[in-house]
Amino acid sequence: MLQKKICMLGSFSVGKTSLVRRFVESLFDERYQTTIGVKVDKKVVQVDGQEITLVLWDIHGEDVFQKMRMTYLRGMSGYLLVVDPTRRATLEEALGLKARVEEALGRIPQILLLNKCDLIADWEIDLDRIGKFETAGQPIIRTSAKTGEGVEEAFSRLAEAMLHSPS
Amino acid sequence: MPEQAQRRADLPEPRETPEPDDHAFEELRHIIVSPEQEQIVEIRSRIENPQRRVEDVSSVVAEAIQMRREQGGGAALAAALAPTVEETLRESVGRDPEVLAGALFPVMGPAIRKSITETLRSMLESFNEALEHSISLRGIAWRIEALRTGRPFAEIVLMHSLLFRVEQVFLIHRETGLALVHVTAASVRAEDPSMVAGMLSAIEQFVRDSFASPREESLASMTVGGLEVWIEEGPHAVIAAVIRGHAPASYRLRMKEALEEIEGTWGAALESFQGDTGAFRAADRRLESLLITAHRERSSSVRLAIAAGALLAAVAAGWISGVAYQNHKWSEYVRRLSERPGIVVTSYEKSGGRWHVRGFRDPLANDPARDLAPYGLASRRADLEFAPFYSLDDQIVTLRAASLLAPPSGVHLAEHAGTLAASGTASSVWIAGFRERAPLIPGVVSLDTTELRNREIAALQSAVLTFPLGQAKLESGEESAVTRAAEDLKAIRHYADRTNQSASVSIIGHTDSSGIEGTNQVLSLERADLVAAMLAKNGIPNEMLVVRGVGATEPLRAENSEEARHFNRSVTFQVKLSPLASAP
Repeated sequence: MLQKKICMLGSFSVGKTSLVRRFVESLFDERYQTTIGVKVDKKVVQVDGQEITLVLWDIHGEDVFQKMRMTYLRGMSGYLLVVDPTRRATLEEALGLKARVEEALGRIPQILLLNKCDLIADWEIDLDRIGKFETAGQPIIRTSAKTGEGVEEAFSRLAEAMLHSPS
Repeated sequence: MPEQAQRRADLPEPRETPEPDDHAFEELRHIIVSPEQEQIVEIRSRIENPQRRVEDVSSVVAEAIQMRREQGGGAALAAALAPTVEETLRESVGRDPEVLAGALFPVMGPAIRKSITETLRSMLESFNEALEHSISLRGIAWRIEALRTGRPFAEIVLMHSLLFRVEQVFLIHRETGLALVHVTAASVRAEDPSMVAGMLSAIEQFVRDSFASPREESLASMTVGGLEVWIEEGPHAVIAAVIRGHAPASYRLRMKEALEEIEGTWGAALESFQGDTGAFRAADRRLESLLITAHRERSSSVRLAIAAGALLAAVAAGWISGVAYQNHKWSEYVRRLSERPGIVVTSYEKSGGRWHVRGFRDPLANDPARDLAPYGLASRRADLEFAPFYSLDDQIVTLRAASLLAPPSGVHLAEHAGTLAASGTASSVWIAGFRERAPLIPGVVSLDTTELRNREIAALQSAVLTFPLGQAKLESGEESAVTRAAEDLKAIRHYADRTNQSASVSIIGHTDSSGIEGTNQVLSLERADLVAAMLAKNGIPNEMLVVRGVGATEPLRAENSEEARHFNRSVTFQVKLSPLASAP
């Protein structure tokens, strides 16, 4: 059986937890996130006919009360970087997080999720900039926790990327 | 040899010599030997100059020591160095202890802390168990065993008492927190191991981060209600055991051993782990050996159940024997009750926790309720229903007779087999009443009066009226005796009337033996006549009186004294009662 540890990163209240809530197997209470800063869930995906168990560390977003614990990222094979496009700052924070992760763990498979795609009218972020990232090879998926759009795809693509990653 | 060539070029000019041959030889020798000579000089100066020697050794000493160690001479090296190192340390401490203390502090602190924590934890674990068992019966038995075998009590306790179950064991990849192997004890329901392992790792990291403990000091255990999670960390893997109850400290050693073995066997696989847990499938068996269930000889719940059962049995036995004892007391009471005169028990039964005793009771019999207390029976649990009846028990008939006839003192009544016997002395009035009423008493069929004396008849028949010598007149003072005799006679007459008898009284005149027989006969008759006349005067009808003179023929006493002769000069009475032929 193949297992991979992945992390869910992003600013506080970008919808990480909502994004996974409907799509993963949960055992633990969400209060763990506010107490120890992480909640571990599970998601099984199929890649090339192979079953992969994604052990998903849903890490509490950074805020003034809590810094993200970098130790929680140890040993992860990939991560989802969640942005709330209705709040421009969350993109900058996500990029900052990515830089920190790459500094600590090197370049590992990751996908930038633009969440709340059901509220596209309220988006604040610069779409041109997003287009440039995509051109530069940054994988980006538009998701909605509300409609479920893009969520399964996000997990599958990350799993695929990890499976084909040389690491 | 470019160096030599160079050196040659630098050489000073050869010295002047007297002979050209010598000079040439010298020059040749110089050319041939000089470089070596130079080297010898150089080497000698190196050897002889301590400064140079130090310089030489210093450049290779580290490498030399390392090489020696690599060649396997570590022990010899250590032995060689030890005295110096020790001396150095001693010297250093002697000079300034602060320096060494400062240097060792970062090492010693955690080491000491870890050692103390470990010692305290195992001590507490064995102490808890020792405490738990020190005061129980088994604890005492174990103390005896400890004394007998000379082993420490704690060890005996550990040996006997442990009850715990290792329900789950996780082998977790340390770096990723992924579950490599997960084994569970039979019938244990376990949550998804990948999530649990991840969360365990997260918690472990959280604790380590939060309390800023160095990597060496990891979370050793967690307690959740009745469950404990013991964690043992290796360089690449973590073993977490979920334990119900309290495992002994020695279990941690087993975890350590298993972890060391796994690290040894799968070290490379752990290091290059990319998420494929298949490689560790064979570690299952090793982990399963950690799924230990240790029972006490008898679990406390079973013991409790047995104790409760025993108690229940004891209570039941007590209750049953109590009931049996009560039943026995009741039957004994009823048996004794039915033996009592005047009481007949027709039935007895127990219902609704009460005893019902039914029967008949003569009013003169003892109250059955009075017998309850001596048998220790509570009257509130007794329903005694006794209908009144006349008992023909001798005792009861006797009592009945006594209560109805009210015998005077000196009279005793006893009924046996229907015959009521009266004995003693009673007035003729009472005797008359007795004769009239006794046959009417239930249980009395006949009367026995042979031992019953009529007081008046007895008085009359024992009366002796005395006369002076040769005279037929009463001695003075004897008149009152005649009056008494008349009263007795009246009573006798009345008695005879009531009892349907005729009474005749013989008045017998006596003389003493002095004088002649014929005269005495006449005198005795005169004396009797006198008394008869006096009685008639007192209202006694003549027809019941018979007068006789017996002279000296029936002396009352042998005449061996004047007193006896005086006694014989008298009148006596003899009463005779005869049943009348016809009923009144």
